[in-house]
Amino acid sequence: MILVDILLDGLFAAVAGVGFGAISDPPLRAFRYIALLAAVGHACRFCLMTYLGWDIATSSLFGSLTIGFGSLWLGKKVFCPMTVLYIPALLPMVPGKFAYNMIFSLIMFLQTMDDPQEKMKYMSMFFSNTIVTTTVISLLAAGATLPHFIFSKRAFSLTRRKPGEEE
Amino acid sequence: MERNESLLPVAKFIAEYAAHMMGSGVHTSRVKRSSKRIGKAFNTDIKLNVSQKTIVISATHNETGETYSEVVDIPVLPISFEHNAELSALSWETYDQHLSLEEVRQKYNEIVSAPKMDPMFVLILVGLANASFCRLFGGDWLSMGIVLSATITGMFLRQRMQANHINHYVVFAVSAFVASLCASTSLIFDTTSEIALATSVLYLIPGVPLINGIIDIVEGETLIGCSRLISAFLLIICIAIGMSFTLMLVKNSLI
Repeated sequence: MILVDILLDGLFAAVAGVGFGAISDPPLRAFRYIALLAAVGHACRFCLMTYLGWDIATSSLFGSLTIGFGSLWLGKKVFCPMTVLYIPALLPMVPGKFAYNMIFSLIMFLQTMDDPQEKMKYMSMFFSNTIVTTTVISLLAAGATLPHFIFSKRAFSLTRRKPGEEE
Repeated sequence: MERNESLLPVAKFIAEYAAHMMGSGVHTSRVKRSSKRIGKAFNTDIKLNVSQKTIVISATHNETGETYSEVVDIPVLPISFEHNAELSALSWETYDQHLSLEEVRQKYNEIVSAPKMDPMFVLILVGLANASFCRLFGGDWLSMGIVLSATITGMFLRQRMQANHINHYVVFAVSAFVASLCASTSLIFDTTSEIALATSVLYLIPGVPLINGIIDIVEGETLIGCSRLISAFLLIICIAIGMSFTLMLVKNSLI
């Protein structure tokens, strides 16, 4: 049952990654690797959060590190820069629920200014959701960029076809 | 390595190339690297100063010492990973295969004018993506169906408005309002309506500028990174405005 949960999570993440990626016009040859990376990254975060009980920020960092190293490895196969593979793959990990709660609590805060207790409730809700959203998004991008710094030579030449090698 | 191209056409081409790459949503350090690589292939030293709307380019020929500089405007283009990948590959091809400037320009024109993905196909993919996203947040099947139809409605509207060159803040606010209004129909049913409402606008989140902004900051291009983050943040505010109209309408049934 655990395996089915993980696979389903990966599957839905893959569909989400490909769909959101499609808005930004990726090369057709990259689609299956985007799906694969999105699935692996999100499933990794899902496992860490559900079975090991880690918090969302740390789990997201590890998920994005997986995606980053994965894109470094797969990028060479399809001659795509890392960002082309990892940005769409990261999109399903954007913490949408927290972002929504951030906006919702902001509106409710403005609406309940006269009631001190309600006001405080929505204010703390706004701050906690804002902190989670910004931290997770920053860690996602930072984690996926890290392989750039460690393996910069490989990362810079992913789109290079060997001299003399024809397509 | 040495090719007898005069400086001016090479510099003009690289200026256009760099501006196109910045417009298609490539992070700054890659634009600089690829432009310098093409320059090196033509024995020219390229230096770029990039800001949100313009690029200052300075090209110096390594032998004659002749220098040319220009300020180019960055065109407003839709984000394209395809151009990102192909134009980066073009820079390596130029460097490795000793192409002449005419060949490079011809390949560049081919890449830039290649047909895009069919908007209908994108529409369906985005709908499915947002429905799966709803599932990831714990929505049930009914919510997924509602999010699918809400997203397709909102995305269709966004594509039509963008084709008519309406101001993109307006586009984002209106699409967010319409999509969340469609999703608010879930309040009638016994379903995970809050999740449906929350996910319905997420297809609008400007993920590429957000992540590019952080990449730029991490790589030391702090100014351009901040500009990208600010412009992404403005779009998020527009989404919030659109969604808050819906929330005001339905908030009594949400609490």
